[in-house]
Order: sequence, then structure tokens, then C-alpha cells
Amino acid sequence: MTAVTTPTTADQRREPSRFRDWITGGALKDRAVLLLALIVVLLVAMAILDGVGLTSGRFNSDYLASTLIAYVPLALLALAELFVITSGRGGIDLSVGSMVSLTGIVFAMLYQQAGLPLAVAVVSAVAFGALLGAVNGFLTAYLGYPALITTLATFYAYRSIALVVSEQRPISGPEISEFYSAAKAIELPVIGGGLPLVPLGVFTFLLPVAIVAWFVLNRTTYGRKLYAIGTNDTAAQWAGIDTRRTRMMAYVTAGAIAGLVGVYTVAQFASARPDAGTSGSGMALPAITIAVLGGVAITGGIGRLSGILLAALLIVWLNASILLVVPGNEGAQAQLLALGVVLLGASLLSNATIRRRQGGLAKPLSVPGTAPGAK
Amino acid sequence: MTDTAQRTDPAPGHGSTPRLEMRDISKRYGGVRAIRHADITVLPGTVHALVGENGAGKSTLIKILAGAERPDTGTIAIDGQDVSIGSTTDAIALGVQTVYQEPQLFPELTVAENFFVGREITRGPTIDWRAQAPRMLELLDTVGLDRSLASQPLGALSIAKQQQVSIAKALLEQASVLILDEPSAILTDAEIEVLFGVVRRLAADGVSIIYISHRLDELFRIADEVTIMRDGETVSSQPIGELTVREIAERMVGGEIAEGVHKEGEHGDLVLELEHLTLDGAFSDVSLSVRAGEVVGLYGLVGSGAAEVGEVVYGMRAASSGRMRAAGDDRHPATPSEAKRRGIRMVPANRSSQGSFSFQPIAFNITIGSLGLLGRLGWVSPKAERRISDDLIRRLAVKTPSGRQPIGAMSGGNAQKVVLARQIVEQPRLLVLAEPTQGVDVGAKEEIHRIIADLAARGTAVLVITTDLAEVQRIADRILVFRSGRVAHEFPPTASQASLLAAAAGAVDDPAAAQTATGQPVTDLPGLPTPGEEPR
Amino acid sequence: MSTDTVAPAVAKPLSLRRILPPIVTGQEIVLLGVLVILWVLLGIFTPAFLTPASIGPLLVQVAPIALIGVGMTFVIITAGIDVSVAAMIMVSAVTTARMLVAFDIPAIAAVLVAIVIGAALGAINGFLIAYGRVHPIIITFGTANLFQWLGLRVFDSSTVNGIPSTLEFFGRGGAGSTLGVPHSFAIAVIAVAAAWWFLRYAKAGRNLYAIGGNQNAARLAGIKVQPRLVWVYVVTGALAGLAACMVIATGTATLDQSVGSGKELQVIAAVVIGGTSILGGRGSVVGTLLGAILVQTVVSGVTQLGWPTQLGFLFVGIFILVAVGTDLIRERTRRRA
Repeated sequence: MTAVTTPTTADQRREPSRFRDWITGGALKDRAVLLLALIVVLLVAMAILDGVGLTSGRFNSDYLASTLIAYVPLALLALAELFVITSGRGGIDLSVGSMVSLTGIVFAMLYQQAGLPLAVAVVSAVAFGALLGAVNGFLTAYLGYPALITTLATFYAYRSIALVVSEQRPISGPEISEFYSAAKAIELPVIGGGLPLVPLGVFTFLLPVAIVAWFVLNRTTYGRKLYAIGTNDTAAQWAGIDTRRTRMMAYVTAGAIAGLVGVYTVAQFASARPDAGTSGSGMALPAITIAVLGGVAITGGIGRLSGILLAALLIVWLNASILLVVPGNEGAQAQLLALGVVLLGASLLSNATIRRRQGGLAKPLSVPGTAPGAK
Repeated sequence: MTDTAQRTDPAPGHGSTPRLEMRDISKRYGGVRAIRHADITVLPGTVHALVGENGAGKSTLIKILAGAERPDTGTIAIDGQDVSIGSTTDAIALGVQTVYQEPQLFPELTVAENFFVGREITRGPTIDWRAQAPRMLELLDTVGLDRSLASQPLGALSIAKQQQVSIAKALLEQASVLILDEPSAILTDAEIEVLFGVVRRLAADGVSIIYISHRLDELFRIADEVTIMRDGETVSSQPIGELTVREIAERMVGGEIAEGVHKEGEHGDLVLELEHLTLDGAFSDVSLSVRAGEVVGLYGLVGSGAAEVGEVVYGMRAASSGRMRAAGDDRHPATPSEAKRRGIRMVPANRSSQGSFSFQPIAFNITIGSLGLLGRLGWVSPKAERRISDDLIRRLAVKTPSGRQPIGAMSGGNAQKVVLARQIVEQPRLLVLAEPTQGVDVGAKEEIHRIIADLAARGTAVLVITTDLAEVQRIADRILVFRSGRVAHEFPPTASQASLLAAAAGAVDDPAAAQTATGQPVTDLPGLPTPGEEPR
Repeated sequence: MSTDTVAPAVAKPLSLRRILPPIVTGQEIVLLGVLVILWVLLGIFTPAFLTPASIGPLLVQVAPIALIGVGMTFVIITAGIDVSVAAMIMVSAVTTARMLVAFDIPAIAAVLVAIVIGAALGAINGFLIAYGRVHPIIITFGTANLFQWLGLRVFDSSTVNGIPSTLEFFGRGGAGSTLGVPHSFAIAVIAVAAAWWFLRYAKAGRNLYAIGGNQNAARLAGIKVQPRLVWVYVVTGALAGLAACMVIATGTATLDQSVGSGKELQVIAAVVIGGTSILGGRGSVVGTLLGAILVQTVVSGVTQLGWPTQLGFLFVGIFILVAVGTDLIRERTRRRA
């Protein structure tokens, strides 16, 4: 018996539906567009203010490029959070800051004190970070601890190990001071003439990771599995996915990225400070904030690299712009206000989009106990 | 031999004003008519059974009575007075209490607290247990629960006991009409006895009880009257003593001759063989076989154990004992992934919780089960994904402008096709389908059945596990009826729906009297006990 | 059961014990046991530990954590969370400190100011969470930033100097204790007791568990979910305000911007160690108190033993895992019953 009738042409006639596709089905892209729009608005506004002379410094591409030094770790850690939060089942990682501190110390000890070659030290630090992440992953994915609990515990544990091992003193030395050059701003080769100095870290740290991450998320089976377990863990099991291993790998990845950021901060400050990631409120909260701002759904299954990169850029440039308009301490304070407002605004607004994505058609009030659709 | 009613005298109230009268009820949902025309009259102090297949309309009728839905036409009268039930609160105020299969209770609160949550009696800010407790303890006694359970968290109780709590809770407000939706589905025999005791007591006290159940034999032990629904209409309503199980079954299914979607072709080698397979708490001593090209249907009511057989075959659960040989391998698959490696695929029963990745695109949903096909060494090629998903969208006639649509916005039928498509990206050796057309409209249902038949024609061994009687008759070559965790009987698809239903509902009075739809006696039933043997 | 058995007349006196859950939870007992063991061990290895001079300051440190922990327990029971408490402490503390310095207000007024500010901040959280339908962790991340900004604005310069000792009632010194019991700790214990009673006997308290267990079902059952949610965050804020007074009192005459920093995680740690499930629906304030004492014991015990102070946090981390682990195991075996 022949299979089935071909779809009626009526369904294929709806050309404008491509646009509607983009709106409803591609709601994920909306966030990136929104962020891009906000960045543009920001740049335009600042250019105007600068032109009118209301800024305390020059608002130009040099300035913007220089802020990218802070952009690199923020974007990377937000990316780490993307993996973990997207894996679903309450995924979150509060320990990234502590992992940054600890891997930074380890890196410094290997590179400076033990004199190992740079490449070896970097790889070891990243591997060590992956190991730290594996602890998180094992506790969360295999033992069933809520991620908030696991990473709260490791936040404390890793932080204390970093402080104890380093005897609360930063590690520095000649090699590390030279290493500073890995993060400083340089002129872009070949086309660099008219362009501002871009921090090398963008190319040596962020770009490779971002490229690899993009491929992993969008072009590998692992990426598919990650989105699957975050969207519907049960269905993923039914589809034959090893949900525990997939979830574990998300935490390992976060740890590895944190390890890289640990190395970066050593370069950035020319010393390994044991509280690098945990001073103040720590690095985890801003990272999570950027991730959520970048469109990652706290419940899992949704999150794109483009959103992360743009959200981090928006915040970094927003902070930089604020400093020009409101210099000094007040400026630093205003940055907090801006971050809070942007985060709240974006989440409250996007709530509607998330409901549309998940709900599909609005369902009538369902009576408990009866299966929807049963008549 | 008819099942004699084993009950005490009819409860008082016959002849007086009906407790409940619903007349000329109809209800549409969008383009679907859930109820065409329904009338029901329930006398005070009687137990009134409401039976019908899935889709017959009884759930909708109950929702209307409970205030969760409003009827398009018709009137409702309680104790002779016309009423309008606009909300669940209205229903409760009128004395209509409903106990659902899955009660909305709080596992962390104690039993006692679950009783009163939201309507606590207070003295100032505190809960006045002295005022509340006596009534609650009384109700616990009524349903046969030990008083010491009052301080236990609800979650610590077995499901059956939790249901007893929800029944007791429904009695808290003075109920004049109590609706019990499939209460015995999850109870043991002993617990059913307790339940019946409670029901009889309530009826004796004048409460009218509407008892919904598929278990026809039980109804004879507890109900006074029975209303039968079919295809959105109430087809008959009378004292239950006037009918036999067979007659009820026949009215439920209408005696129509289902047109089978059978394929020609021979059946090949054995692909699946189960021998004395047992899963404690679900099914026991199940033996069956499926050959390549064959469609075997497992039919049974909810809780019959058929669904769990599928889960064991697919590696989602581990059997307690018994042998399974699937796709040439004697080992039980330990995980779905292992099952898939052997060419076994399964469409899960509950689409939204087990099958659908709701905000991911259709292409994602289709290819997620076959990631290895999208590229080598863990790579995923979007072109391959598009090619595969477009191909399946076309083959299964999924109504969508593109593979990029999220599945969450699709109709049930289309979404089900996508979940099915996932399993047939590569032709499986064995395909297990659980409730393949639940929540699916008629047109898509038809299409899905054809797809299944087509698969079998190409050599896949198919195992369909369903509670949909018409469905199993349409597509199966052989039907195994499950009851209480065992294979009760095997039937050919030519057996009448009434026979199948009766076998599943437990009263196969005389297996030799099983009839085909055209009234001819069935002669070629493998697995039927010979006369004199106990039907199991 | 035959149909003619009549329910026995209620002859036995009504005993609440047979209706309400047991007075103490398993986790509380375990924690108490662990605490006793730790104190005994520390007492053996560092004799100075079990003296009022050592226990007193420990309890003073515990007090603000336990106090806020009460509010946080309410919040987590409703399946929410509040990571903005540290910022709330800062805002309350700096405002109150400023008023003490500028107007030399009496202690009562200072406490009132702090509580009102905390409550107002909590109300912001509450309304956004109850009506915004965004996950509480995101909302409170956002408000944490806002409150921090607010606090730093009030700080204006970098510190508040010359704070009078008006609030010494809550402090570490002689004026802060009576008969060796620090006032701030006593207040925390009173708050815990009141909260315990509330969660056990009051309708509003029991309803919190329902909300956390299944918010939809709670709404269907007739519980006014949204006002209750607002309320728990307001309470948390108010308690953070009161805790801010304690922090001022135990500090020096100078208050700097790091006040409150990191406290939110300490409070959450105390709450989860105490047996409150992060998923909501289940929780104990007594457990939170014990958890707070446990954490502080570990931290100061480490110092007293002469080990590196930072090692204390490692133990805190381990304790979190062990405590929650035992709680999870207990839950799973209970469900299986």
C-alpha cells in the first residue's frame, strides 16, 4: 500500500509564514536582535553626548576597544554558565569564580614556580578546571544533588583550597610579568593601521573558545543532546540519550572554561591572586546575569552563543559609557544600577516570549486528573 | 450465564425527585464534537455507572457537571431545580464533588492538612484543629483509613491510600453528588472491597454517586444503574440488572465492523520473543512473539500491564525475571540506547512528557533519535538534518511550512507524526508503539495507521500497545488482551469489539462464545483455554 | 470492613500529636548530634573553646545569619530564593549608620529605620516575583544590583565614620549580653521560635508549604498565593534590616562598603544544611538555626585549632554536601515507602 498523500499546496502557499517563522519559531534570535539594537542605541547615544561635549573623556573606538580586556573573562564565564544552565534540571554554577581563583593559582605554580613551559602550564590549568567541573558534574548528574547546592558547596571548597594552597599570597614573578603581554592590547596585523588597539586576549582566548563553542553547540551531536536534556529530560531518555553523561559534560566544560579564564586573569593582572574570582560578590553572579540577559532560559533548553557575546558586549560598553558620563565612584555605582535595570527589564519583557514558545496554543483550563485531549 | 448483581437491596430514593438531571447536553471543542447529545438522570442514594470508550464523551460530560466546562446546549437540574454551573466553585457549592484519578494534593503536607488546605478553620491566625479534627477523623474512619495516618506526610502513603484520602476529602463538604473517576484503576482487590463499602455507605446515606469505570464486571457489584455513551451520545440508561457484560460492551462499541488496515505479505522470522517475562508490580508470566512484517496488538485497560511490557522491551525498565530474545540477542536491553542499537525503536505513550521537545524545531525532534546519521565522528551537518527531516515530513504528510517550526505549536496529530518520524528515520527491526494515536484527530489517526501498516509491509515487526479498541482491531494481525498483568486471551482481528472489551474488562464468561463481528463463532484462537479450563 | 461498622465515637481525647507532623525532624536531630559532637571535640582539643569568652562571640556571629535565615527559610519553602539579602543588609546598615551619626537617633528609632528599609526592599522583591512571573533567582540577581547601587549612593564617600555605640545592645561587649547570653543571639532564637510556631500552627504558615509544593494546586485550593509570596520576601527584608543593626553593633565605629558582602551565600548554606529543600515544600527553621551555628562553629573552630582560617570554608562546603546528602537519602527512602 502506498504511503501517504503529499501535503496540500495550501499549506505551502503561505510565503509570509517565513517571516512569521522567524518571529515565533526563531524567537531565540529575537534576543540577539534586541541586544544588537540596544548596543546600537547605546553607541548612537554616546556619540551624541560626546559630540555635545557631555562626556569626560573621548568616546571613540580606541576607548571601546580598550574595554574589551574586561569583556573576555565575562563573556567566557557567561558561556560556561550557558552550558550548565542550558543542561536543565535547575542547572547553574555558582562556583565558577572559585574555579577561576584556584586554576589561576595552579597555573602560576606550574608556570612560575615549577618552571614548566607555557603551553604545558596552560593545558594543565584547563585540565584541572575540567576536573573541578567534573566534581560538580558528578555530584549533580550522577548523585542527584540540586546544582545550586553542589556549586554552592564547591564555591566554598574551591575558594578555601585556593586560599590555603597559596597561603593567601598572590603568586607573581618574571615569567608571569612577561605573560602579561598575552592579554594586553595590540595592533591588529595587516589591517591594523587605522583600527584601534584590540586586546590580544580577544584573539588568543575568546575567539578560539567562541568558535569551538559555536561548533559544539550547533554542529555536534553533543550540542543536540545538551539542548535535548535541557528541553525535556524524560524525552531525552526515551530518545536513547545518556542524560547523565551529557549533563556531566556540561559541568566539565564550564570548569575547563573557568580554567582558561583563570589563566587569563593571571595574564591580566600579571599575578595570580587567590581571590581573583571570589573578591566582592564573585564572578559567578555577573556571569549568570549576562547569560540570562543573553537569552539563556533559567529552566534550560534555550541559549545561544550570539546572545551571550552580545549581552556581555552590551554590559561592558554600557559600563564604559557610564564611566564617561558619570565619572569616578558615582559612575561605578551607576553601573550597578544599569545592570540591575537591564536584567530586570529584559527578563520581565522576555517572559511573554518564553510562554509563547513553550505553550504553543493556549490550553483551556485543564481539570486535574483528566488527560488533555481526552474526550 | 449472566453476572448476577451481588448487592443489597436498591437504595432508597427510587421514584422520588431525581438528584441530578442533565438534558440535551452538547459540547464542541473547535471543530470536534465531544458530545452530540447526552441525557443522564441520577436518583438520590443510587450508584450510577457511566461507561464509554475513550472519546465517547464521558470525560467531557463529567467536566461539565464539575464546572470545568460549560455546555453549548442543554440544562442541568439538581433536586428538581435548574442550575447553572459556571465554575468549579459553583459545582462545589451545589454539592457536586469530584474525585479525579490524579488528585491535586500536596505530598509534603500531612494527610490531615491536605484535608483542609485552603479552607482551614482558624482561631485567629492559628489553625483550629480541635474544630477541624473530629470531622476529619470521622471521614478517615469512613473510608477505612487508620487514624494514625493523619500525621503522616501524604507522600509517604501508597497511591491507593492517597486516593482514599482524596475521596475522604471530597466528602468534607456535604456532597449530594459524588463523581468517582476510575477509582479502582490503581487498587488491589482488597482495597476495592473497602472502596465499595464506602460507596455503599454513602449511597445509603442518600449521596448519589456517579461511578466511571471501564471494569464492567465490577460495576455489577456496585452500581444500581448504568448509562452508556458512545460517540458523544448517551445510547442507553437503565438499571444494571437488565444487562449483561456482553450487552454493555456491545452498546459501547456499537457493533460496527471496523475496516482493517491489513497488509498482504508474509511474515518473516521471529524478531521478538518473550517467555514468562515478569515485572514485579506490573505484569507476570507474559509470553508472546512478533515476527517480521507482523503487527501484534496488546490491548488492555489502564493498569493491565501492557504498557510496561513495552518499556521492558525497549530497555527503559528491567524485567524481574523471564527471557527475552530481541533481534537475535538473548540479553535484555539495559538502556534504550542499547535497544536502539539492535534496531528496536519505541514511540512512548505520553507525547508531551516523554516524546516532544516542545520548543525545538521539528527537524530537531525528528533527528534527535538518529544523531549518528547526521554526520561522522559526532559531527552534525545541517544539510543532512534538513534532508532527513524534509524527507520524513513528506513521507508522513506532516502539515508544516518548514522543518524549522517548533513542535510545541502543532496539533496533536502532527506532533505525533513527528515523534513517530523520529523512530522510523531508519527502518527499525522492531517498532513498539504505545498509544500511537492518543489525542490525535481522526484524519491523522488514519494516516498514522497507514504508516504503521506500510512499515510492516516492508518487514518491520510491530508491537502496538494501546487502550484504543478500534485502533487495535484495525491494524493488528493478532490481538493479545491483557488483564491484571497477564495475557488473558489472544484474538484474531476479526473478533468482535465487544468480545475484546469483555475480555479486557474481565468477564469472559464463555470464551468459546467469542464471536466475530459478523456473528460467526471464532474457531481459530490460539492461546484460548479449552472449555473447562480457567480463563486467565 | 462490613458496612454496618459504625465509626467509633470519639472517646479518646483529641491529641494534636496524632495530627500534626512530629515535633522534630530527622535532620534537626542529626544536626544537633553533629553539633554536640563537634563542640565536645573542640572542647577537648582547645579547652578555650567552651568558655563564654569564646562561645559568646560565636553566637553573636551566628545571630544575623540565623535571623535572616528565618526569612530565607520561608522563601525557600515557597520554592523561591533571595540572593539580594547581602545588598539589603548594606542598604539598611548604611542608612541606619548615617542616621546615627547625623542625628544621633535613639536605638529604638535606629532599629525601626533599619527594619522599615529592609521591608521596603523586600517588598520590591516580593511584588516583582509574585506578579512578574520570572524566576526568583533572576529577579533577586537584578535587585541585588539595584540595592547595591542604592547602598553605595547612600555611602556617598567610602565609609561612615564615628558611629556611636547606640546599638551596643546587639554587640559583642558587656552591654551586648546578659548573663553571658548575647542579646542578638537571644533575639535570633526568639525569631526562630516564633517562626517555628508560625510554620507549624498558623494557617498562613502551613499554606507556605502548600505554595512551595504545588503552586497551582495551592491556588486552586483557594490559597491567596501572590499576597503570601510578597509577604515572605518582605519578612526576609525586614529581618535583613534587623540583622544590619547587629552587624553595625559588632563592627567598629567605621562602616565600610563591604558590609554584608557574601552573607547571602552563608544564609543559603545555613538553610540548606538545616534540611530545607531547595525545591520547596519542605523546611525547618530550627534546622536553619542549627545550620547557622554549625557553619560558624566550623569556621571559628578551625581558627581556634590553629589551622588556616580559610580551611573553614572547605569544611562548610563538605558539610553542605553531607547534610543535603543525608536529607536526600532520607527523602528517597521515605518516598519509596
